Amino acid sequence: MTVVAKSWNRLTLPGKIVFTVVPLLIVLTIVAVSVIVLLGPTVIDILAANIEIVRFVVAVTIILLITVPTAFLIIYMEMKVIALMNLRIGPDRVGPFGSALSVVHGLKVLMKEDFTPTGADPLVFTWAPVVVYLSAVMTLLVIPFAPGLFGQDLNLGLLYFFAIGGLSVVGLLMAGWSSYNKYSLLGGLRSAAQVVSYEIPLTLSVVGIILLAGSLSLNKIVENQSGWFTNWYVFQQPLGALIFFIAATAEANRTPFDLTEADSEIVAGFATEYSGMRFGFFFFAEYVNVFIISALTVTLFFGGWNAPFAWPWDVALSLDPGSYGIGMLMLFAIGPVVLTLLFAAPIWLASARVKWWQALIGGFVLANLFLITLGLAGAYIGLAWVAGLLWFLLKTYTFVFTFVWMRGTLPRVRIDQLMDFAWKWMLPASVVNVFVTAAAIVVVSTWRPV
Amino acid sequence: MSFVPGLGLAKGMALTLRRFFEPKVTIMYPEVRLDPAPKFRGRLQLLYDEWGTLKCETCFQCAQACPIECIDMGGIDTRGRYHVHWGAPETYGERREESALRRSGRAVPDPAYQPFAAVDLGKLDAILEDYDHDPDRMLQILEATQAAYGYLPVAALKRISQTTGAWYAMIYGTASYYAHLRFEPPAAEIQKAAVDAHRPPETAYLAALDGALSGSGRRRQRSRPVADA
Repeated sequence: MTVVAKSWNRLTLPGKIVFTVVPLLIVLTIVAVSVIVLLGPTVIDILAANIEIVRFVVAVTIILLITVPTAFLIIYMEMKVIALMNLRIGPDRVGPFGSALSVVHGLKVLMKEDFTPTGADPLVFTWAPVVVYLSAVMTLLVIPFAPGLFGQDLNLGLLYFFAIGGLSVVGLLMAGWSSYNKYSLLGGLRSAAQVVSYEIPLTLSVVGIILLAGSLSLNKIVENQSGWFTNWYVFQQPLGALIFFIAATAEANRTPFDLTEADSEIVAGFATEYSGMRFGFFFFAEYVNVFIISALTVTLFFGGWNAPFAWPWDVALSLDPGSYGIGMLMLFAIGPVVLTLLFAAPIWLASARVKWWQALIGGFVLANLFLITLGLAGAYIGLAWVAGLLWFLLKTYTFVFTFVWMRGTLPRVRIDQLMDFAWKWMLPASVVNVFVTAAAIVVVSTWRPV
Repeated sequence: MSFVPGLGLAKGMALTLRRFFEPKVTIMYPEVRLDPAPKFRGRLQLLYDEWGTLKCETCFQCAQACPIECIDMGGIDTRGRYHVHWGAPETYGERREESALRRSGRAVPDPAYQPFAAVDLGKLDAILEDYDHDPDRMLQILEATQAAYGYLPVAALKRISQTTGAWYAMIYGTASYYAHLRFEPPAAEIQKAAVDAHRPPETAYLAALDGALSGSGRRRQRSRPVADA
């Protein structure tokens, strides 16, 4: 036995890990630095030449990454909001107010056995959740989060959205078919029937907006709704908005249309044979879908990232930090101290029992809060995308709350009622909506007083 | 206007939204514990079976266990033979008289107990004397009574109640709990008594035969009916 092997055997497990990882890291760092130094400018040139592709890849990556915390947040919302509506407290152990519970759920799902039933088609079985998940995530690519903050401004954005969103049917059928279980297959067919049926009124209800906006680009549609909230399309297309909302609920398999995986009635529909992270992907896709349909409802009917009111006067920050010179430095040095003392003074004066250091701590906290608020307000006024993102997320999560609220309230419909409603009510209503909108546009544009 | 489309939906949504803001009923159990009254035993309820009859068998177990003695119940025993009552008789106006009588030590003329055959209480009084009229030795008293009479006559139980001071219902509860105590003679004796009652000539003949043969030394094959039944 050589000396090296002997000393290696004497190491504990952490020692072995450290002695493996540290040299590896050193070597990797050296390689990375030398690659950056040698090839950096060339790579940057290539990237700059293909800025569109780079932008696309970055956008896709970011969108893939943000779906995870979004789904976690919505799962937490669902647990907490429904609990509060049931007069329960809900999750409150993991993290502040139990907010990390959905992360723990994710980890649990990740650690479970990834089981494939005998007779299943392993390839299709594995890819079905991926198809479902990606068809949800890829639709996020065209949704404008804020001015300038979108994955890709396709001029066929809405069409792309419905085309990709429709792919989820393929995933559901794949899951149902490949499970080698007749109940999964029936569940898959049921889901496909539901999703395909509601796809039609969903798409037709939007045609009115396309006629009004004259564009399929979601950015264009949002820009058309700027100004006061009366410009939102929901006031010009109330029937369309209603049909869209109902159809989107069914499309995302949410209560009262969650027949595909009616968790209190049937086993799990198409997902019967799924376990572990593959099931987790279906689960994730559902919650990402909730976010997406909320976002699309907001984008199409509720003004997207526009604030509900227009500022009556023009607000422009004309701050030029360079012009302050040495005063700027003094501001950074003295400002926090002065603010802390300023906020500490009322606390100190309020009660004789407050000690000086308590007053100072309170003042420091208040001063920080004040500065953070100031910074956020400045960003809101100065940066269009901050304001846009704020309004967009506010509206979107209002709708997410509505979906959760509906789940906490409404009972599930029967499958025949579901189909009846889609074909006998939603489809005619959406067709009527299209015709009325088109006629109104013709009438208005013909007899518009010039 | 009774039907507005979507009114039900709106009502339901409004209800859940109100609940959303209401105080919650959850008790954070391991940290926070309810402080119920020490004698709290949950909610009492009389249940009915699927035919609509009370499931209560008048076993008085609930009344015996009740820590605050709030259960006062009366009823017919499970085979519908005689009336039993548990609880302070003062709670029923019509029983006030019986209560006074019982405390005075005299016999209680309760019509509920009248239809039952009187028995010779001499043997029972001797037994009670042996056991010092002690209600704590109720089981032994009852066993001795059954040994003497062959079963536990209602009149005997009544007598035990009067002399020991134990409630009739409590004695009934004790007696009905033990399988080896019975409230009626064994079935064979009852049947023979019934047969005898329906065939008076045969009975008379057998009695005459018995008297005629009594001196001859021939053994009787059939036992006579019990004299005191």
